[in-house]
Amino acid sequence: MQPRTLYWILLFGGLAFLCGCDRLPGKPKEKDRWKPPTEIKDFAELFNTNCRGCHSNGKTLGASISMNNPAYLAVIPKEVMQKTIEAGIAGTEMPAYSAKTGGPLTDEQITILVDGIYNWAKGREAPTDNLPPYSAALGDVNHGKAIFAQDCANCHGSDGAGLKGKGGSVVDKVYLSLVSNQYLRTTVIVGRPELGMPSFRDDVQGKPMTPEEISDVLAWLASHREGPAPGQTAPKGGPASKTQTSNPIE
Amino acid sequence: MSAKDRPIVSSLVNVAMWLERRLHLVKVWKATAGHPIPKSSASWFYVFGSMTLLCFTIQVLTGILLALVYIPSANEAYRSLEYLNYQQELGWFLRGVHYWGSNCMVVVMFFHMTQVFLWGAYKHPRELTWISGAVLLVLTLALSFTGQVMRFDSDAYWGIGIGAAISGRIPIIGAQVVNLLLGGPIIGSDTLSRFFALHVFVLPGAVIALVSLHLRLVLLKGINEYPEPGVQVHKQTYWRDYEETVHKDGMPFVPDGIGKDLVANGLLLIVIVALAVFVGPKGPEIPADPAQVISEAKPDYPFLWLLSAAALLPNGSEIILFFVFPLIAAILLFGLPFYSNVGEKHYSRRPISVLVVILTYLTIGLLTYAGITGPWSPRMEAWSGTPTKPEFIAGRSPVELQGALLLQGKQCRNCHAIGGEGGHRGPDLSAVGTRMDQPELVRQVIQGGGNMPAYGNTLSPQEVSALVSYLVSLRPQNTIPALNPTNPEKTERVSSGELPKQAKVGG
Repeated sequence: MQPRTLYWILLFGGLAFLCGCDRLPGKPKEKDRWKPPTEIKDFAELFNTNCRGCHSNGKTLGASISMNNPAYLAVIPKEVMQKTIEAGIAGTEMPAYSAKTGGPLTDEQITILVDGIYNWAKGREAPTDNLPPYSAALGDVNHGKAIFAQDCANCHGSDGAGLKGKGGSVVDKVYLSLVSNQYLRTTVIVGRPELGMPSFRDDVQGKPMTPEEISDVLAWLASHREGPAPGQTAPKGGPASKTQTSNPIE
Repeated sequence: MSAKDRPIVSSLVNVAMWLERRLHLVKVWKATAGHPIPKSSASWFYVFGSMTLLCFTIQVLTGILLALVYIPSANEAYRSLEYLNYQQELGWFLRGVHYWGSNCMVVVMFFHMTQVFLWGAYKHPRELTWISGAVLLVLTLALSFTGQVMRFDSDAYWGIGIGAAISGRIPIIGAQVVNLLLGGPIIGSDTLSRFFALHVFVLPGAVIALVSLHLRLVLLKGINEYPEPGVQVHKQTYWRDYEETVHKDGMPFVPDGIGKDLVANGLLLIVIVALAVFVGPKGPEIPADPAQVISEAKPDYPFLWLLSAAALLPNGSEIILFFVFPLIAAILLFGLPFYSNVGEKHYSRRPISVLVVILTYLTIGLLTYAGITGPWSPRMEAWSGTPTKPEFIAGRSPVELQGALLLQGKQCRNCHAIGGEGGHRGPDLSAVGTRMDQPELVRQVIQGGGNMPAYGNTLSPQEVSALVSYLVSLRPQNTIPALNPTNPEKTERVSSGELPKQAKVGG
């Protein structure tokens, strides 16, 4: 090859190389460009950054209730979830996310989160027949004890203290001091299927718990608590365990 | 065909001759580029000086081009870099060349100094050449640091913050120095203006002046001959011998001695361009906003070793690192040509020098490696964004799950990984139940220790109890829980319903 030919090849090769500048690996990519957290509008990114640490997205496992659970999404009203994300739940590990309360998210971002979470249930909605209300007053303690022995004892023992190799204690005073009555109620209704706990429909095969039974069991569980339940202050003249779950987001 | 037959060539020759008669360019050329050097110094080891100069030239050229776009104000600096990165055609490439040119300049200058040191080139009569080179090293590092500030992102912000904090510890005048550096009590536009003035006017001007002196000294005192073992430097005879060598066995630097420099500089240029093309410019990272806590601020490569050294030193020894060490280093560096003025030049006869080089390279190399890989900052978003692997959730009791929630909610996860995921400032907690028993964990949570804050006033006794019950559960299958070394029989898990005594005290 003539040296001059080589020079021309090098020259045109170099020019061609420069023409491909937009695809060079060192060129900063738009997706890596920093943007203020308040400008993130992608549901997955918002959920993965703010929620996934505690709540499962259906692929991970969380210490708290899974958000990708159609039964849960069937029972919790959308506005309650919106409010819970905005204001958090006092006394629990659920922080307030709204910028109005000092949190990191805008109203628009919280709406994106709520819509995105409900979209998970689209096409695989849970049945709504016999669905107990999301919140209700606590019921009868004594009847609740009997219902617990009938519906829950198989895993948690008739006294609720847990059975080795099965469910743990649900009358543990430390546990009850950290969870709100609403959390207990939601867990009884929707279960923790990802951890093997059935919903209110399947505690006893073919015999779903009635709303009254759920309220009674809740009353019996809450009666083991010492001090106020998280998410509410102790009302004057009565122990917290008798308080109704009147605030739907506690 | 002679020049007379070609009028254009003839005119150019006339202009050149006119200039020559007035500027004596041939004489200047012969005295500078064509100065005689010993044949032995046309070595591959002698190319680092010209490579450093190439880096500086690249920095000046790319710096001028960057200054056409860059706006040195706290409001605009970041945006002007984004403009260069994403809008200006090849702006990112320009930034990349400037960034990598800066890093290469520090590295190549370090090699140059190492070679000069090991080849004994600093000895009589080149003391001032060494000293001017040492000042150039300081100036180059200052340029690198002030250049990092130009990005005005979180790296820059925290970098200045740490620089100011160090300066503030200078006895007596600390506060005044901080004020002078920052242009006020806080990091703002005034700070950026000052660093900009330093970066584009003061420091490059000083470098140009010092490089001129350095090169003048190279011409006056000659390029060091390639040393030979056993040949001693004597003040009385060295210069006479050197001139004789150059006279008998010398050659002009241009064109005879420059070949290896040209090749090495060509390769360096390719390396810098390749790094810019394939790795790209650095940042800008998160903006210089102290409210943006999710940032892992780190200095640029030349200062990473300092970051690790400061982080690894025991508490209270900062004075040693930031004041005593630089003082001793400066005395050793600038005093070198005086306390090691004559004698052997060849490294094979100077074992202590070789050892010094090895130790310096190992120290800086390992500290830089630690700086790159070390978990120096908590992962501030881990608590809400890093899920826990199923094996650390499944099979846990309700209270243990509440403990797992607390581990997230109280942001323990920002410093502690579980299953390798999370922060790495503190130990991974995947198997903490095999290392610490329940009372030990309660004490650690309440009182902290070993760089961990005390949480006794932050957590309720119930929260401590739930958290610890979860931590105790963290151990691989078929492993036994941690035993109390003084009384193993008494080590039993306290039932989760029972509050630990320590928690009651602390909470």
